[in-house]
Amino acid sequence: MRVVAIAVFTCVLASCAIEPPKPWEKGNLAKPEMQFDYDRLDTKTQQHIYTSKEGATGGYGVGGGGCGCN
Amino acid sequence: MAVTERNLQLLAAALALPGVMPSAHAQSAPDKGIFELQYLSYRDWQPGRNRMSVDAPACYALIPLSDTWVVEGGMVYDAMSGASPLYFNVLSGASIGDYRTAGDLKVTKYMGDWAYSVGGFVSSEQDFLSRGGSLNLQFFSDDRNRTWLVGVAGTNDRINATNGVAPNSERNSWEFVVGVTQALTPNDIVQSNLTFYSGHGYYSDPYKPLDTRPSTRDTYAWLTRYNHYFVDADATLKIGYRLLFDSFGDTSNTFEASWAQALPWGFVVTPALRFYTQTSADFYMNPPFPSGFVEGQNYSADTRLASFGAITAGAMVSKTVWDGWNVSLRADYYRQDPDWQVFGSGSPGIQTFSARWFQVNLSKNF
Amino acid sequence: MRLFRQTFRAMAGEHELQLAHHDIAVARRAAAAAIADVKRIEAKYSRYLADSVTSRINAAAGRDAVAIDTETAALLRYAEQCFALSEGLFDITSGVLRRVWDFKADPPRLPTASELASVVQLVGWSRVEWADNAIRLPQAGMEIDFGGIGKEYAADRVATVCLEHGLRHGLVNLSGDVRAIGPQPDGSPWRVGIRHPRAQGAAIAGFDLAAGALATSGDYERYFDVAGTRYCHILNPATGMPVAHWQSVSVVSPLCVVAGSCATIAMLLEDKGAAFLDAQGVQWLGVAADGSLAGPAA
Repeated sequence: MRVVAIAVFTCVLASCAIEPPKPWEKGNLAKPEMQFDYDRLDTKTQQHIYTSKEGATGGYGVGGGGCGCN
Repeated sequence: MAVTERNLQLLAAALALPGVMPSAHAQSAPDKGIFELQYLSYRDWQPGRNRMSVDAPACYALIPLSDTWVVEGGMVYDAMSGASPLYFNVLSGASIGDYRTAGDLKVTKYMGDWAYSVGGFVSSEQDFLSRGGSLNLQFFSDDRNRTWLVGVAGTNDRINATNGVAPNSERNSWEFVVGVTQALTPNDIVQSNLTFYSGHGYYSDPYKPLDTRPSTRDTYAWLTRYNHYFVDADATLKIGYRLLFDSFGDTSNTFEASWAQALPWGFVVTPALRFYTQTSADFYMNPPFPSGFVEGQNYSADTRLASFGAITAGAMVSKTVWDGWNVSLRADYYRQDPDWQVFGSGSPGIQTFSARWFQVNLSKNF
Repeated sequence: MRLFRQTFRAMAGEHELQLAHHDIAVARRAAAAAIADVKRIEAKYSRYLADSVTSRINAAAGRDAVAIDTETAALLRYAEQCFALSEGLFDITSGVLRRVWDFKADPPRLPTASELASVVQLVGWSRVEWADNAIRLPQAGMEIDFGGIGKEYAADRVATVCLEHGLRHGLVNLSGDVRAIGPQPDGSPWRVGIRHPRAQGAAIAGFDLAAGALATSGDYERYFDVAGTRYCHILNPATGMPVAHWQSVSVVSPLCVVAGSCATIAMLLEDKGAAFLDAQGVQWLGVAADGSLAGPAA
């Protein structure tokens, strides 16, 4: 039930576009700091550290490879 | 300015001209490649116990092969030493002096309004081998403000513990993600992903005595991230939240926030905070060794499955150097504490755990 | 933040980049990369250079098809769109008309009717055979010419190069085709003047530009006056005769290539130009033949 609510919330979030930028207004979105996972190596490393010391894994993208951590 | 339908025809044709607009490379094949080197130095410690340290060089490259084909991949070599933290000694702890080599490769093809990626990965240690592959599909909206992601991955893990416990055990899992990224305004972008993981096989820790975990594991994770660019400050606020339910019983909440501040001379300083809580696994039992333990029931005293909260405080400084080169230094301090579990009660009797890591990165766009 | 200025010559004109950044070395590098790209476009599309793509296509007129890459195909697609929206008046095969119009001749001479007829029959974009990977001009003597698009396209690419180098303040001026990279260092817009069509060195109006582009098409760039009538270089491809309704048209658009095409198309559409620009929803200023101002920005 909670999963359904989460899924619905995500869809609502996705469909409420506030004022989507025109193509010539995307300069700021192209900045590295504004992109998700611009530095993939950094994200992989940080998530690997947390995976090895905490119980939770995943949520950041599939296909990263496992390790003998938890 | 108000634009009519007819206006869009000329603009649309003009936007199809190459290079008239800078583009975030997420939605079309990038025209620049990236090469990156990284070095991580990690240490952890616990009152009265041994430290674990990891030194890990790693590299990554992204190479556009043509207008529509991109290949990317990386390798990491972890050199680990020291004892994994144990919260109580029943038998002498397994001392880890281990090496891990891992690599991954992904090929992406851009098809205009959508793209697909096929990838493979391997992670190899003395006692553990993990191999798998993934397939990802991205769908771009007409105005390129929305991207849908669907991905699936399958992994096979093979465990051969050096102490001979449960030889040649394995587990198979698959993972499925669906998500959306939406540009809300010229300075706001949000991403939300749902990830499902399901695995069967050997999940116990062979180095921990009597550790017996369920032979199936399912997790459901919901991750939402949001970036906002403050034009006047030339800074970006990045916040994220992940909720994860695990069939093992540990539910976790992760909150992350960072502030990337651009400074003169190409510097960017990013302080960051992470707050994490998890409830304990259903079969986790607090030290000391529980009375009434029945042979064969699920049990683990692994504190990674206990109930605790954890905070990371860190900062990164990066600078563009010369043409296309970027160097960054990162330092983080991490601490787990059962008292910080704010969504329930922390596991009693476990000690705080601390870690620190430094990371230096050097990258070049070409 | 210091303003870095660089002037350079390319495409038979004088151009200027004004860039601002905390680190002057970044502005220098961006300018060098941008100028290199302008020269690349010139080398690739100038009809004056024998080994340019344009010259190779024109040399094969009436014979074989010539292979083209994605950039050329995109420019042709854009030219096609301009042709359609201008009711066939913006025609990149109309460059041949310059063979009978010599604006440097002294005394100036109007072409005869038969001279005009001989070149007008070589004009016809709708007859050109082209696809994503090749183009063929069906008749010997036909030519294509990117002169009406190339400089504005280069201006937009210069802006992209600068943005990708991290510049957020700057102005590109390719001999009158202007594109802002961002506002002035203090945040205020650039004040861009519109050249007075009849008074050398004077401005007839001005625009504030913090982002986007301003381009002007006018009857004063190449022309001669005979018996009180101005004959300019903007020629109607169907009649071969110059247009006369406007002295100049200036258009503001997010992209310089669109601003330039709209201005030229408005000149070509003559008395239908105002309606065209209003339908495009752009900010524009026109100076009519009698010197009066027209348009929402007037």
